[in-house]
Amino acid sequence: MNYSVVRYILGWIMVIEAVFMLLPCIVAIIYGEQQGFAFLWVLLGSALIGCINVIQKPKNMNFYLKEGFVTVALSWILLSIIGCLPFVINNDIPKFTDALFETISGFTTTGATILSDVEALAKCSLFWRSFTHWIGGMGVLVFLLAILPMAGGSHMNLMRAESPGPSVGKLVPKVRHTAIYLYGIYIVLTIIEIIFLLAGKMGFFEAVTTAFGTAGTGGFGIRNDSLISASPYIQWVVTVFMILFGVNFSVYFMLLMGKFKQAFLFEELRVYLGIIFASAVIMFIDMKDIITEVGDCIRHIFFQIGSIMTTTGFSSMDFNQWPDTSKTILVMLMFIGACAGSTGGGIKVSRFIILVKTMLKELNSYLHPRSVKKIKMEGKPLEHETLRATNVYFITFFLIFATSVLLISLEGKGMVTNFTAVSATINNIGPGLELVGPMENFGHFTDFSKYVLMFDMLAGRLELFPLLLLFCPSVWTPKKKLKVEA
Amino acid sequence: MKNPFSKSKQGLNIIIVGCGKVGTTLVERLSGENHDISVIDLKSEVVQRVVGDYDVMGITGNGGSYSVQIEAGIETADVFIAVTDSDELNLLCCTVARKVGECAAIARVRNPDYLGELSYLREQLGISLIINPEWETATEMARLLRMPTALGINSFAKGHAELIKFKIPKGNILNEKHIYELRDLKCDLLVCGVERDGELVIPDGSTTLLEGDVVSFLATPVNSHRFFKQIGVDTHQVKNCMIIGGGKTSYYLAKQLTDMNIDVKIIERDNKRCEELSLLLPDTLIIHGDGGDEGLLREEGIESIESFVPLTGLDEENILLTLFAKSCSDTKVITKINRSTFTNVIDSMDLGSVMYPRYMTSESIIRYVRAMQNSIGSNIETLYHIFDNRAEALEFKVEKDSPVIGIPLMELKLKDKLLLACIVHKGKIVIPRGNHTISAGDKVIVVTTHTGFTDIKDILK
Repeated sequence: MNYSVVRYILGWIMVIEAVFMLLPCIVAIIYGEQQGFAFLWVLLGSALIGCINVIQKPKNMNFYLKEGFVTVALSWILLSIIGCLPFVINNDIPKFTDALFETISGFTTTGATILSDVEALAKCSLFWRSFTHWIGGMGVLVFLLAILPMAGGSHMNLMRAESPGPSVGKLVPKVRHTAIYLYGIYIVLTIIEIIFLLAGKMGFFEAVTTAFGTAGTGGFGIRNDSLISASPYIQWVVTVFMILFGVNFSVYFMLLMGKFKQAFLFEELRVYLGIIFASAVIMFIDMKDIITEVGDCIRHIFFQIGSIMTTTGFSSMDFNQWPDTSKTILVMLMFIGACAGSTGGGIKVSRFIILVKTMLKELNSYLHPRSVKKIKMEGKPLEHETLRATNVYFITFFLIFATSVLLISLEGKGMVTNFTAVSATINNIGPGLELVGPMENFGHFTDFSKYVLMFDMLAGRLELFPLLLLFCPSVWTPKKKLKVEA
Repeated sequence: MKNPFSKSKQGLNIIIVGCGKVGTTLVERLSGENHDISVIDLKSEVVQRVVGDYDVMGITGNGGSYSVQIEAGIETADVFIAVTDSDELNLLCCTVARKVGECAAIARVRNPDYLGELSYLREQLGISLIINPEWETATEMARLLRMPTALGINSFAKGHAELIKFKIPKGNILNEKHIYELRDLKCDLLVCGVERDGELVIPDGSTTLLEGDVVSFLATPVNSHRFFKQIGVDTHQVKNCMIIGGGKTSYYLAKQLTDMNIDVKIIERDNKRCEELSLLLPDTLIIHGDGGDEGLLREEGIESIESFVPLTGLDEENILLTLFAKSCSDTKVITKINRSTFTNVIDSMDLGSVMYPRYMTSESIIRYVRAMQNSIGSNIETLYHIFDNRAEALEFKVEKDSPVIGIPLMELKLKDKLLLACIVHKGKIVIPRGNHTISAGDKVIVVTTHTGFTDIKDILK
């Protein structure tokens, strides 16, 4: 392990977080809130410690995949710990565990809250809560790559650890330029959404925070009832943008480059939209007796499918009251999640495409034992490495999932609550069913369960392995001294 | 759409087909010079490795295919380089690339069958540069055998000036001499670098030379001959040469040596290849046998041979053969290293002249790319990586409006770690002194440990 380079990058993370914290400070000034000072103190502290660590560039900048994964995992933990301090200091969320839960939920774009009364928070705290979604959506390390020039191929090791999906590709040859493009697309889409929300007569503050929640596919709102009381227009806008942010950003890049045909033929995009429409049809048949107004029914169905599938977690209605078939579909959508290379979580559509294709191939090999067939994705043969990684990911995912459900169940809550609480956190969605349904919150869990769920959220956002790697003892081998020349 | 970022920093969009030894060396060099690079290779694991090591985009596929090239962004590419194993594929890649995009195409073509037709191919297919690493390696080796004292020779200004590297032998008069004392020898030359115990020094007048130092100096061929005579070092060309292995490089080398009236003996393992070679090289002695067989080598007179060049495909075998030859006699040896890892170990062994064909290939390509990058037009005439890649020697052509013109050299604010080695003024070689000035149309040779120079003005602070 090259500790000095890890420390250097963590230093940068602290500096960047300090810069991000300027925004809630500005919000506090605008609304004249005393709570803003908490952000100022944390900002100054973080900037100071960060600067000390980045002032001297380490001599040995060797950076391998191992360092990349460890750095990413540690960065996210560090981000969350620093990010939760203002809540504790300004007494909005006095308990550390709760504040940490809330912040991790923010950065991992989960949107699960422990607060029963969100509206009681100060505006600056609300803003920070939503802003963490926006930061976490695209990833901090990607942001770092966009602004910090680093040598060699070390970039890719960071990007690979933070970007979701079975295989990470670049849009343009340089990682730095790729990161700039990604953030460019992200910022522009967010601004467009804000404009659309403002057009629907939403207040400026609420429009910005809602857009942050949508862009990061997070789900924190500034109202207790999420978006239930919002107008149909607002709900449609949010629906469309949730689905847009769940799309692989490569598609937008292709559109930007004028490759329209290629963009619309993108396999993952078509399957993604296919799943959305298929689920919508089944749910419409299931629900048409409950919501009699067809327009309302379609709107709520699409909103909820978009919200769950992209792992945002907004709600336009208390879907805990919906019929069982529809609820089941929603829970299944939780696991599928959004496209790879989007801001959404879950197992990812592309992984499911690969898994289903592998299954069909296996089936075929029973019929024709000697048949040879390569699995293709986006018109290209898949590497054995990718296939293996996908299978292992799937197994690991369910192992962690099962263990977490078991640990949560020690509390004695109902099966559905435990199951959906874990699936809502590990897939970065937010609300589950029953006791963790859209109208409820996670405040009633014990501290132990909260830490388990926090782990799930981080593991889900970082795609399991960076976080698991932290538990491998051999990662933490002491630095060997260089051979001294005699 | 052009990549908006690359323009600001003058980076080029480069596509490299084939990630073998040369391809990887090119990626390493060019990505360090801020270009946007895409690589294409058939083998996905190779692509993965390159993408993991360097900041480039990788595409798995056949580089000769139109759609793969489109995917790599041929439409916006400035340079297209084909360095796959196959000559024909390289030519096809370049032909397709020239039809699709507005780019300079560079191909590697090694087969002796095409040797005489390279300029025809270049013209007909619109290829900017065809490189033949084996031919270039052989040429360089032949040059060394002409002056066996030198460990390395790089020629500048169309051969008017040479950068010669040699090791000071034991008990030579140069031992414990200061560099300024070399002036007494009345040879116009400039010492550009001294290597001692693996450390490189760009020297000044007060540096002391010791026996065993590897000294590089720049001079005209006449002056260097006189210099070697003055210090009592033999400079006559070798009379005969033994080559182990009958590959392409051996063929090219044997051909060139025969033209120089040097007797050549090739030992080749494969009978069929021996027969082919005997047809191609009627004046060369072809011996069918295992070059790794000590008995055979002794039988063929390794003790008395004047030069020995092992050219097998294996670096380890080449190194062993060289060491063996050195142990038998003080013959001139040249060692070819294909995969250049463990350079510090290689440096510590007594291998005579060491050659890295992969660097020679990449040098000529990088020279071309740097010249393209320069918006005014080609400024770099030659480029060599010297001292095991720790320094570059560049030859610049000075254009009319260059800021270095007309100012005495001592008043120019030059960068550190840089040496103005030579000025070629109207075809005459001038070793520069402080009161000289550079005029338009001159060629200037610079030795520096900086990288990425594209214009003569880069030498200024």
